[in-house]
Amino acid sequence: MKLSYILSVAKKDLRVEFRVKQTLIFMVLFSFLTIMIFSFALNFSPVSEDIGAGLLWVILLFTGMMGISRAFIREKELGTLEGIQLSPIDPESILIGKIIYNLVLMFLVEIITFLLFIVLLNFNVKNIILAIFVLTLGIIGFVVVCSMLSVLVLNAKARELLLPIILVPIALPMILFSIHALRGVFMGDSLAEISSDIIALLASIVIMFTLSLLTFGFALEG
Amino acid sequence: MIFVDCLCKRFGDNSVLDELNLEILKGDSFALIGPNGAGKTTLVRILSTLSKPTSGTVSVGGYDVVEDPIKVRQKIGVTSHNTFLYGDLTAKENLKFYGELYGFKKDEIEKKVDILLKKANLRIRAHDLVSNFSRGMKQRLSIVRAIIHDPDILILDEPSTGLDVPSKKTFYEMVREQNASGKTILLATHDLREVEMLCEKAAILNRGKIQKTGTIEEMKSDGSLEDVFEELTKNGK
Repeated sequence: MKLSYILSVAKKDLRVEFRVKQTLIFMVLFSFLTIMIFSFALNFSPVSEDIGAGLLWVILLFTGMMGISRAFIREKELGTLEGIQLSPIDPESILIGKIIYNLVLMFLVEIITFLLFIVLLNFNVKNIILAIFVLTLGIIGFVVVCSMLSVLVLNAKARELLLPIILVPIALPMILFSIHALRGVFMGDSLAEISSDIIALLASIVIMFTLSLLTFGFALEG
Repeated sequence: MIFVDCLCKRFGDNSVLDELNLEILKGDSFALIGPNGAGKTTLVRILSTLSKPTSGTVSVGGYDVVEDPIKVRQKIGVTSHNTFLYGDLTAKENLKFYGELYGFKKDEIEKKVDILLKKANLRIRAHDLVSNFSRGMKQRLSIVRAIIHDPDILILDEPSTGLDVPSKKTFYEMVREQNASGKTILLATHDLREVEMLCEKAAILNRGKIQKTGTIEEMKSDGSLEDVFEELTKNGK
């Protein structure tokens, strides 16, 4: 694993994305439309703190699944994944580079979605910094799992349909820890009060990241 | 340079390469000829470390493709009908990206990229997006992408597919230049004119087996290359 390889892969993907802005724009539009649907469904009344975390995660989950998988699928469709594989770069560097790219993309979507969520659903957040911290931790775990699994489905015929089916059960524990901690933050809990969820979330991220590194080479070989 | 011993590759019950033996020496310009489905691309993928053999030994540039794939990749440059280029990056950005993957430093890459773009006659288009390039320009860029790390072996898998005559001519000149500089060329194709123009030795592959191997001149001793090819592959897929 080499830092320069990791940064090269991430930098290249970010350059392409910020040039064409295809994935980012679709992700933001999708999250905006979903929030609008919730807003209409709730008749423009404020969302309660109790269900806010779950709603926010549903939006981010579907937006993320749509966008994150593109990092590898786009390479596969262009035939450039083999170009990378033909160079003397280890598979782990490819994975971490893609994770960094997806994290930047997803972090931007998270911030925009969260702001839209607050404004369009009249949602009251007591500690916005802590909420973003907790949400970001959940997003990190989600991105790690989604990046890894999007490679596993690369050679499947209906890869876009298959990904959610295998992603949701695997990412579910991390998402539930994040929802639980986030609900606590929305209800006014401090960092100390949600620390057990944070620790569980961090442990899940470490486990999933390690597993991804150990298995990615085999997944890439197909 | 390339040594293949008793190579087999199976996909389920389907045997694509069957006890294949092949030896390509340093500086050779070697053609792998075969009809569609003969196993050329499968062999090229194994030699390029993109696929693993079911059994047998394959060494490229002195390294085993299964044991030392990273070292093999440093020895080879691969191009095919797929150019491995990013349409949303410029020609320069594409070469810089691949240069970084070979571990070159920033200033080293800058120098190399300038030289290579000049070689491909693309210096004037260095800052244009590759998606705006013609097929011939993409293929020229693809070949300089493949040689950015100055590999000993250049593997070409049906590289001239879809190229017009002038583009083919420029492309052939670039390949000949690489061979003249001492690089080993392996060309997988079914275009016999291309073989006669670029290669000195060849192997005819059919149904996953080498049917005949030798110099082009030796092969032509029984008739034209086309006749020999047709005779040996008439029961092909």
